[in-house]
Amino acid sequence: MSFFRVLRAEFLKYFVQQFVTFRTAFWFLILPFANGLLFYSMYLPFSNRLVPLNALGFNVAVDIVGFTLIGQLLYTFFVGMSVAGVQFDNERSQGTFEAMLLTPASRMAIMLGVLFAAAAQYLWLIIGAVITFLIFFRLPIILNDPSALVLSVFLTYTALVSLGICLEAVFIHTRRGVMLGTMLQEPIAFVSGTILPSSAFPPLFLQLTYLIPLTLGLISVRLILLAGATLGDVLLPVFGLLAMTLVLPLLGKWLISHAEASAKVQGTVGLF
Amino acid sequence: MSRGILQFADVKATGLSRVYETRKRKYGIGSQTISRINAVVDLELEIEQGELFGLLGPNGAGKTTTVKMLCTLLTPTRGNASIRGLDIVKDANKVRKIVNMVAGGERMLYYRLTGRENLRYFADLYDVPSSFVRKRVQQVLDLVGLADRADDEVEKYSKGMKQRLQIARGMINDPQVLFLDEPTLGLDVDIAKDLRAFIRKQLVEEQGKTALLTTHYLAEAEEMCDRVSFIFKGKIVSTGTPAELSRLIVSTITAELILSDVKDADIQLFASDTGSKIRSIEVVEDDPSKSKKRVLIENASEDIIRTVFEHFHDRGARVVSAALKQPSLEDAYLELVRTQAKAS
Repeated sequence: MSFFRVLRAEFLKYFVQQFVTFRTAFWFLILPFANGLLFYSMYLPFSNRLVPLNALGFNVAVDIVGFTLIGQLLYTFFVGMSVAGVQFDNERSQGTFEAMLLTPASRMAIMLGVLFAAAAQYLWLIIGAVITFLIFFRLPIILNDPSALVLSVFLTYTALVSLGICLEAVFIHTRRGVMLGTMLQEPIAFVSGTILPSSAFPPLFLQLTYLIPLTLGLISVRLILLAGATLGDVLLPVFGLLAMTLVLPLLGKWLISHAEASAKVQGTVGLF
Repeated sequence: MSRGILQFADVKATGLSRVYETRKRKYGIGSQTISRINAVVDLELEIEQGELFGLLGPNGAGKTTTVKMLCTLLTPTRGNASIRGLDIVKDANKVRKIVNMVAGGERMLYYRLTGRENLRYFADLYDVPSSFVRKRVQQVLDLVGLADRADDEVEKYSKGMKQRLQIARGMINDPQVLFLDEPTLGLDVDIAKDLRAFIRKQLVEEQGKTALLTTHYLAEAEEMCDRVSFIFKGKIVSTGTPAELSRLIVSTITAELILSDVKDADIQLFASDTGSKIRSIEVVEDDPSKSKKRVLIENASEDIIRTVFEHFHDRGARVVSAALKQPSLEDAYLELVRTQAKAS
């Protein structure tokens, strides 16, 4: 019970701080649609151009707009996780991090609360953008297995949240959250195949990209939405995402306790 | 409050030490140099239940480091400490449930949340029973006198209000032991005075909390604390009630004379006549004519006060005031710092 109370408290704190006035809340509701229009204007010139989608035995050419837009939308989740990790740098500089660590609250619950709040915030951005995207582009979506889509998106989300826990712990430990969070974004966008087809990478490098949950999520969701794949076709990335969802939180839990213990030994809990 | 044999130590530290290590490489490369600072050295401390204990020392003496170790924010390098019998390292999570800390300054609060939201958030983190949260938040708001501003964002609060909210946060889990780390830091004199009275009367005398107060304001320690320890360069150098420490360290009574139109030779003569020793003679700065002098005389007795008027009147000087000064905690502290500085 206490775990969920802490999680809820973190979630609420995040949202109340973000949307402290009605004005900010209003713009938050509007922003995703504006984002959708931005995507529209960015990708319109490339409409009807094809890009190869080669993975798991599929070898099809798909519209570049759909390909990139799916990448962009899922990548937004990764950015959300990275930004949530940086949150603890802010807590440190305003002294609330110490107040938080003074409490007996579960550290895992605190971190998950922040991640879920960030994820919820970005989920709305994605929904708004998707709605706009469907209205304006009318892209040919071949959806043969909606349950596979739901499962893939869900597991991508949970695997990214799990990765977020690890990132948060690393950011807390290194006290370089803002710098690392910013530095990670572009390389991850590149190597996960957000914009370029990852099949274009050299084979050895390609194997390494599979360690990123975003890569597996993109392969799975793109195949399901753009090539009509079913759950049976995307079992491999789905299991990969499931494994990451299960393993990364354990790693994150260890990293968090290590970060806290190490900060207390080094005397860096309150240092920014 | 007079205290005899310690009945039950709420806070106990034995040989508690903390070393800070800083590792540096010249230009970021080359061999590493490690510098070590002994922030706290073999600290022995016993604070009994319901006691307000003061840790007094200059900046960098190790006060905050001690508090941070005791409330589990720092791991000791050596030694042990316990809060109500719970080890601060092995039972850290249990310790966190029964302690809280209030620090000076304007940190440890979320400025975009209201006072009430801040307290509700921390009540959740301390797992205050859900059905009791609303009542507890209102209780602590009433306690610190912030009930009427509870729904304003903290960024709209004055410094004093933020500090009171910090105390409310420190009380939200109804801690058995409260650590107050320079709680009046940066506050106006009148607000600090109210806060001191509040801590002493409400928290300690009425609610029976055990509290450890760190401060470098001597008057604060003298006014509030049952017992005080002087800490200097990480070591406790003396412990006792403020009165005991004052007498123990500065045994002599001082006389303070304010004299007008007086010659230094007459002051020296007065000292030799009365068998006393002059500690200092200085011009009273805020006197526009600069004709007044403040004279501090050591080993003074009541005889000095009786003879001073006659002595200086006969020599054409005027005695503006003459008073005997009992040793204060401030005298004791200054004496101790002087002695320790010489020794080190």
